[in-house]
Amino acid sequence: MKNENTNPEDARLATLLRESRVAPTLPPRFQESVWRRIEEAEAPAKAGGGTGWLESLAALMLRPRFALAAAAVLIVAGALLGAREGGQMAKQDARARYLAAVAPNSLR
Amino acid sequence: MNRSLVIVLAALVLGVALFGGSYFAGQRACRMTLANPTDDLAWLRTEFQLSDAEMARIRELHAGYQPRCAEMCAKIAAKKSELEAALNGATNVSPVAQQKLAELAALRAQCQAQMLQHFTEVSRTMPPEQGRRYLAEMQRLTLGFHEQTEQSMSESAGHEHHHE
Repeated sequence: MKNENTNPEDARLATLLRESRVAPTLPPRFQESVWRRIEEAEAPAKAGGGTGWLESLAALMLRPRFALAAAAVLIVAGALLGAREGGQMAKQDARARYLAAVAPNSLR
Repeated sequence: MNRSLVIVLAALVLGVALFGGSYFAGQRACRMTLANPTDDLAWLRTEFQLSDAEMARIRELHAGYQPRCAEMCAKIAAKKSELEAALNGATNVSPVAQQKLAELAALRAQCQAQMLQHFTEVSRTMPPEQGRRYLAEMQRLTLGFHEQTEQSMSESAGHEHHHE
């Protein structure tokens, strides 16, 4: 095996082979276009347009922290508004009750 | 359907359900808590910020007024029955029916005067400013209804005349 490697004919052949390899010249702005194609392949939604915000919103809603905070805000806001409305209704009920006790319907 | 759209719609539905549920729960709880079904005069205390002494005096006045009010109501109900009997099957307003109408109106006026007198007495037991507010509010609630009806009728009559 060693004899084969040190064969001068083989060395010449190897040199010839190296020289015969053609180094092609790259087209202008080759690297830039490659990167652009990679970016386009990674972001198809952006290239399509329109649904990007929906996906972002869906991703936000699936975050546990955001979902819990939103649920807490909705529950507290609903309960507070409901309590305010309930207070008003209770006041109206009480007034109607007093009115029914002092002013007969036939006079109103 | 798009997965993101489904997620957003489901979240919106859940959000509306959470808000609506807590709103109605809060409303019901507050209404039940603040309601006082045993006391007819509870509204006076909270609305006009009355003291225990003022409330005690008003309760006395109220207790005195109730039987007189009930008596007048019974008289009005009886007179209404008489009027209905006089009008029953008649194609014309007979003199008897006219008489009953006049008596009913007189009874109502008497009852109304008694009621206004009671409101005045109650207002006197309150602090002056609250008393004035109470009297104005009671007059608006008990007499305003008729004024509103009369006003709407006169407006509609005027409207019709305008087009004639």
